[in-house]
This record gives sequence, C-alpha cells and structure tokens, in this order.
Amino acid sequence: MQKNDVVIIGAGPAGLSAAIQCRENGLSVTVLDEFPKPGGRLLGQLHEEPSGEWWNGIKETNSLLEKAEKNNTTIKCGVSVHHVETLENHFVVHTNKGYFAADNVLIATGAAESAAPIPGWTLPGVMSIGAAQVMTNVHRVSVGEKGIVAGVNVLSAAITRELQLAGIDVVGMALPSRNIVSEDQANPREVMERMVRIAHLAPSKFIQFGSKFATFKFVQNLALQFFPKGGIKMWDMPIHLRKAIKEINGTDKVESVTMVDVTMDGDIIRGTEETISVDFVCIAGGLYPLAELAAVVGCPFQYSEELGGHVPIHSEAMETPIEGIFVAGNITGIESAKVAREQGTVAGLSIAKKVTGNKEIDSKLQDAITNVKATRNAATIQFHPRIDEGRAKISQAFNEIS
Amino acid sequence: MTTKRIVNHPVLGELDKQEKVTFQFDGNTYEGYENDTIASALLANGIRTLRKHEETGNPRGIYCNIGHCYECRVTVDGASNIRACLTPIKANMVVESGKVQPSPLDPSNEGELPKTYAEFKRREEQQKNAKK
Amino acid sequence: MRDLIICRCEEVSLKDLEETAKKYNCSARELKLRTRAGMGFCGGRTCRPAVDKVLTHMTKEDPTNAIPLKVQPPVRPLSLTDLGGASNDD
Repeated sequence: MQKNDVVIIGAGPAGLSAAIQCRENGLSVTVLDEFPKPGGRLLGQLHEEPSGEWWNGIKETNSLLEKAEKNNTTIKCGVSVHHVETLENHFVVHTNKGYFAADNVLIATGAAESAAPIPGWTLPGVMSIGAAQVMTNVHRVSVGEKGIVAGVNVLSAAITRELQLAGIDVVGMALPSRNIVSEDQANPREVMERMVRIAHLAPSKFIQFGSKFATFKFVQNLALQFFPKGGIKMWDMPIHLRKAIKEINGTDKVESVTMVDVTMDGDIIRGTEETISVDFVCIAGGLYPLAELAAVVGCPFQYSEELGGHVPIHSEAMETPIEGIFVAGNITGIESAKVAREQGTVAGLSIAKKVTGNKEIDSKLQDAITNVKATRNAATIQFHPRIDEGRAKISQAFNEIS
Repeated sequence: MTTKRIVNHPVLGELDKQEKVTFQFDGNTYEGYENDTIASALLANGIRTLRKHEETGNPRGIYCNIGHCYECRVTVDGASNIRACLTPIKANMVVESGKVQPSPLDPSNEGELPKTYAEFKRREEQQKNAKK
Repeated sequence: MRDLIICRCEEVSLKDLEETAKKYNCSARELKLRTRAGMGFCGGRTCRPAVDKVLTHMTKEDPTNAIPLKVQPPVRPLSLTDLGGASNDD
C-alpha cells in the first residue's frame, strides 16, 4: 500500500482548498468523498449577494477543481470512509474501495442536518432542506409540485429562495410545532431574533427598513404580537412566525400538512387547525458538525452552541491535539463556504509546513489565518451571532491541552 | 404526481443534453439521465417510496439525499443496502426496494418448528425413512 | 395524532424516550441501550442531536464537552463482502 503525505476526507471547499495548497508544495495527496461529484455542499449553493452578484456553487467548485487539476490532484469520489486507524507512526483510512495509508489526515467532512421532528415526518415526500437543495441545484429534479418549509432560519430561507428560482411552488415557510427537540426552531421570539440579522438581505424595502429597528427586543415583541395572519411576504411567499406545522398527513406519501396558530412563545392555540395540501415538506432544524471520524481517532471535543454543537478541538492553524490529524470546514463549526475555503487553505499550508519543514511557508500560513478572520468579518450573513465567542472557546481549549 | 426536470433555470442556465439511461426498479423499466443518481432518476419518474421499514413496513423515501441517513437504501444488481442518493444509474441496472422482514421473535412465525431436540431427531429420522 | 418518531431507523418515539428516561433515570448511553435510539442503520447521524436534547431536557444538565454517545468504527455500515475485500480492485 502506497503511503500518502496526506489523505483528505471530504472534497468540499475546505478539502479541495487544502489539497491545492498541499499539491503546490509537492505533497502526495489523495482526496476522498462519498458523493459522486466533488464540491461537497458548495456544489448546490446558489444565492444573490447584496452586491447583486450571484454566488454560484457550481462555478466556485469548478474554479477549485481547475486549480486542483493543474497540480494533478487525485480526487476519488464515491468512496465512503468508515474508519481511520492509528498505527505507530501513520494512519490507515478504511473505505469501501480499499485502504489508504497516510502520515497525515485532514478530516473535512462538513456538517449534517439536525432534525426538527414533526409527527408524520417519516413519510416519503418529507426531506431535509439540504436534500431539496441538492435535488434542485445539483440533480436538477423538481422535489414536488407544491410544498412547505418547516423551520425559519438563515439556511432554510436561502434554500427556499433557490426552490422558487427553480420554478417550484413553495406555499410558505412556517415553524415546526413545539416539542422538546424543536424548541429553538419552534419559538417565535428566538426565530424572530435570528431572522432580524438577515433581514437586511430581503429584497423588500419595508423589511429592510424594519430590520434596522428590530434589533430592539421591544420592537421584536411588537412585531410578533401584531404579526400578520397571512405572514410577512418575502419574495411573494408568506413567512409565518405565528403559525406552526403540527402534523404531516398522508398514507403512502405526503398529502397535506396541518397548520395551527401559535402564541408568541410557540404554544399551540387550540381550534385553529387548518389543512394545507402539499406533496413535499422540507424540514430545517439547523446544522451540526459531522465529526464522527474525529471522535474515532481520539480527538477531544468542546461543546459550543455558537458553532453548532460538539466541535473537535483545534488551533487556528487547523491542527488538532492528535498529531497528524487536521480539521477544516464546517466540522470546525458552522459557517459559510467562503470561510471553509480559507480554513482549507490554512490546513493545507499547516500540513505542508509539517511535512516539508520549509520555513518559507510560515508567512503564507499566517496570512491564511488572517484571511479566515477577514472572510468571517466580511460575511453578510452569519448562522450564529456569537461565532467569534465560539471560536475563542475552541482556541482556548486547544491552548489548555497543549 | 407530474414530475419535472428543471430544464431551464434563470441563473444556472439550460440543462446540458445528457445520454438517456434505462434501468429497472421493482420489475418496472424507467428512463433517467446518465448523471442521475438512482434517487433523482426515480423522483423524476414520480417515485418517492424507496423502501418499507424492515419492522413496521412504513414507507420511506429520501430524507437527507447526501448519504448520511441511509433511508434511501436499495438493492442494486443483488448488492443490498446501497444508498440510492449516492449511486449513479447505469444502463440495465436492476434496483429493488427494501421489503418488510419477518420477525424472528414473532410467535406466529414458529409454525411447525420442533420445540425440543428429541422432536428434531424424530423428524430427521422420519425424513430419512421417507426418502428410502 | 401520530406518534412523534425521534429515531427514524428504529422508530423510537418521543414517548418511548421520555417514559424510559423517567422510569430508569438513566444516562444517554443507557437510554440508547434500552430504546435502541441512535443504534440504527444511520449510526445516530440523524437523531443524535434530538436524543441529546431529550436527555438534556430530562436531566436538566447542560451539555458537557464530551460527546454523550460514544462513536465506534465502522461509522458506515459494512457488508461481510467489503470486509473480506472481495469487492476491491487491488
């Protein structure tokens, strides 16, 4: 078995950017990904920036792939990693297509979706919001004739817009009905607070104007109290913060949903049930870092609500306390593809520095670390307002261990 | 359900011309495009149910569509538990949906099984004698 | 109204989890062992955050840094054929 300088698990923006840096420094690299195409979840992204330009995931991915191809980077798709074995002085990555030995492993496996369960959510026709994005923008297949989105947050709003762009009839967005699991997605106050932070991106001048004041809690409360029955329209589609989806109905597949009015705290107002015919439902419960392989390899974790859950402890240079194991992208905390890309660059340079010992890489590495912070600060939308706090927590945890 | 492919997209442009691929699902023949996954090809043909829950028989289809949840697992050319959402279709591929499995602990399955070793030996003898 | 399924793979409902957690006053690991939540085909990828939330709610404890449910390889289901190497090219 030939040994690579590094095996990169995940061919998303983080993994590809890291591979580019490693190859540029002459390292032997193999990138693995279980999806049939490279690009990770960046591939399906599509949204309009405030500048008016389109962030086109396919174009961005192709740009990364071009750079990777220039350096003859080995990218193997359709490969599922089920184990990373630690031997005395190197690792063996176990996959369904064989074993890959490496001195270093970059785990860039991204995130998974948190479920916001609703009774009836196992019916065919109910899918995660991410599933709808992939089906629409990557496979170019319509997810259904008429549907509804359960869960109002930054990610679901962006993807709902993508569904509309593709000509799919989305009747609206509403909250999932409240239960122990869906609490933060089902509470109008919390949702309102989060949506206010992206309202400046809304095309409607009215919402943009309102959002300037809505950072004040009392304004948010007023807005919730007098929230229009028909929802607030964004892109001609109602967004309901005072209605929830109580149940998804159907025998063999989705046929309808039962909507119900809720109080400002998300409690169901009895007697307000109404049935809406739909053939698909998208559930949006948020993202969490998919760090199974980091756990398998013995990496310690830090819980950070700001970053989306349990995060493998790592330094600003993307090293973990386990020698030879690096992380980059959403596995380090939920942010944007742009940040993942910059983190990948950091990780790639970190690994190159370790393997070659080349001192000239130092300044490039420092620049890349600065770039990550700059990219974060320039973000027009943030999944979580206190990302910086979360990042600081992780850095501190890393310093405490070393 | 009338199904659609998103042929014209205002930003992503027109769908590239692709080769058509014929495959089978539960004995029926369907058409897809060469870059379809089994899941996307079936959805484009109006099929959402990919399996029945092994124990309860409840219908299941794609949930995450990126290989995490395994809800879309199907049998492909005899190999079981293949994720439909990650597997590109190939010409003449034979795909089968997952069915309900019999419960090993279900008393109604016991039927005529011997309950003691003595009974088992007696039946074995009977069968041997019947063959002579 | 239908049961609220939390673990899709094993069809464990919220009621199952709540009743078990109450009856046995248990840790995440014990809840998993008793109900099979998180032990199905997907390895807990879909329901893990939900099961964690149910437990946090019941025990009223803040999430700790350590992952409540241990992650064991293989993190993807394997067939005996895969293990035997019969499907590999080299």
